[in-house]
Amino acid sequence: MGRVQLEDVTKRYDDVVAVDRMQLDISDGEFVTLVGPSGCGKSTTMEMIAGLTRPTAGRVRIGDREVTNLPPKDRGIAMVFQNIALFPHMSVRDNISFGLRLRKMDAAEIDSRVAEAAEVVELGGMLDRMPDELSGGQRQRVAIGRAIVRNPDVFLMDEPLANLDAKLRVHMRTQLQRLHRELDTTIIYVTHNQAEAMTMSDRVAVIDGGVLQQIAPPLECYDRPANEFVATFIGSPAMNIIDGRGTPDGVEATHADITVPIDGGVRGVDPGVPLRMGIRPEDVHLVDGEVSAGMTPAVGATIDVIEPMGNEMFVYLLTDASGLQGGMQAEADPGELLMSVDPDAAVSEGQAVEVALDRSKLHLFDAEGDAIAHGVGEVASPAETG
Amino acid sequence: MTPERQTDGGVVTQGRSAEGVGPLRRWAEKAIYAPGGLYRALFIVAMLFFLLTTLFPFYFLFVLAVAPTGGAVQLLPALDAMNLGVFLEVYQKVDFLRYMLNSLTLALVTTAFVLVISSLAGYVFGRLRFPGRQPLMLIILAVSYFPPAAFLVPLYQLFTGNVIAGVNLYNTAGALILPFSALFMPLSIFILTTFYRQIPDGLEDAARIEGTTRLGALFRVIVPLSAPGVATAGVLTFIAVYNEFFFSQLMNNGQPENWAPIVGGLLQLQRAGQFEVTYEVMAAGSIMAVIPVAILVVVAQEKIVSGLTSGALKE
Repeated sequence: MGRVQLEDVTKRYDDVVAVDRMQLDISDGEFVTLVGPSGCGKSTTMEMIAGLTRPTAGRVRIGDREVTNLPPKDRGIAMVFQNIALFPHMSVRDNISFGLRLRKMDAAEIDSRVAEAAEVVELGGMLDRMPDELSGGQRQRVAIGRAIVRNPDVFLMDEPLANLDAKLRVHMRTQLQRLHRELDTTIIYVTHNQAEAMTMSDRVAVIDGGVLQQIAPPLECYDRPANEFVATFIGSPAMNIIDGRGTPDGVEATHADITVPIDGGVRGVDPGVPLRMGIRPEDVHLVDGEVSAGMTPAVGATIDVIEPMGNEMFVYLLTDASGLQGGMQAEADPGELLMSVDPDAAVSEGQAVEVALDRSKLHLFDAEGDAIAHGVGEVASPAETG
Repeated sequence: MTPERQTDGGVVTQGRSAEGVGPLRRWAEKAIYAPGGLYRALFIVAMLFFLLTTLFPFYFLFVLAVAPTGGAVQLLPALDAMNLGVFLEVYQKVDFLRYMLNSLTLALVTTAFVLVISSLAGYVFGRLRFPGRQPLMLIILAVSYFPPAAFLVPLYQLFTGNVIAGVNLYNTAGALILPFSALFMPLSIFILTTFYRQIPDGLEDAARIEGTTRLGALFRVIVPLSAPGVATAGVLTFIAVYNEFFFSQLMNNGQPENWAPIVGGLLQLQRAGQFEVTYEVMAAGSIMAVIPVAILVVVAQEKIVSGLTSGALKE
């Protein structure tokens, strides 16, 4: 009943394609997050689900009905907005009961449902206040109360936490997860904050340039990104991307002394073909003496900058072959590598170190950015690589 | 004040020692170094001037009204010579109450009509984007600058049934409300467009999600939130219609049962006497006619001012 399907949904503004043939199938009770950079089409997608914007092409289905041309009020949805959008001229009670009163529900029923919703969002006792007498978090709770009181089939949330301060945002995040568990309703959530996407969702839909890049559970997006965009967008700090090319017996980096031996080369990639390697900061390890199995050969590097975060430490490395230009460069240095290490690791800026990459966590992307492999298996005879 | 200041570039003038400055010079110095008093004095002068110019016509109207029939008008009428009964005479000579009711009804109906239509127009111009919006808005603005007289002949022909047989609006309320609405609509459209544009999109979206149509969102959310703007547009329209002369005079034969507004009543009062022009009764009628608008302005002035200014700079 709360299933949402988008079939080839497209939105074109003049000559700009905001959303391009979006395919989504969200099952009943699922919490799906649409995530992507500003202007990627995620809000437009949500507006088309809500009925606030009409798609140029394609179909939207909610439950077992096609709703493409239905007005928002007939779609069985509720929405929470980024700017909260409480009606300033109505009390909390009137805000929450607005939709019920429009549906000509009888007063006793309205009262009991408003009371129930107020309890869920912990707003008892505040029902007669006006929105401008509430704090930011309370207003957001009223907006959520207004959404849940109608028992919609689908909740749409358009960056509901974006206007709250950082502490409150984390608090509301857990509140929303609890709410989802209690209500067991489909929730579609739009955000540009990948941390929100990762922590709350059953599945994350990563969108860029109006095109769906990947829809998968958060950890799958993290561990097996479908392409370079997803790889760099999900995860903070972002994944290292290293230009390289295929060789007869593996992959080598263009600007650094990084080589990854692979028996028989990368399947389906001819030697000399450009490739990109992706490695997350936590999968770059300091080498102390012997390189362990499952690691790439050691790479010499100089520590450029250290950022201690408390629970971990980010170390910016300049790999040896790249340090030649020296100085500050506007663009990320092609040989720059970000490594995350234990906070008490003995490193200092300017120090020469050796690092190795975790082979099982190395991602390979082709020249178009599509993933070729996630992790390259161990080499049959590690001795050869020495 | 201080002798050091009084250097005259070497030119010696008579009697310019520090002790011996003249009263004009002392006054000028005081005005320069402590201008508060001067400003206050100027304020009072200016205020008296404006009060005099605005209120004197009303005073003169009053003097005219209470002057004894056929007697001379005195600028300061003696209390015992005042003929206050003239205000009752207004209602006895003609059905002046009916004229006033006609005027109020016409103004109210026109205002309601204008507010509904210009709300729709304000929504369209303020909140929707479509090709040709700006030119269309300019055309509406242009219409409001046309002289009303330009419409008289065609409208007269139309309302007297000479264009479409059977359509005879002359001597009906329609012959007044239609031109009034057309003339005063553009101002309301402009005011409401400005106000409706400022209502955040999110509120309208929220209302539509909650279960209203676009029209429902307009009247349940956008209009209530634009209350100062709606009040301003309404009051200005009401006053404009109530004060209108041209069509009020020409679209009926001046009889109260034919929806003639106050203008008609005043001109009827002219013939209240048998042989002479009864200026005093007309003056009394004019004062009675001013009262409803005066009350409205006093009550609504704060709203009007806030509406007219906040439209420009809110959020």
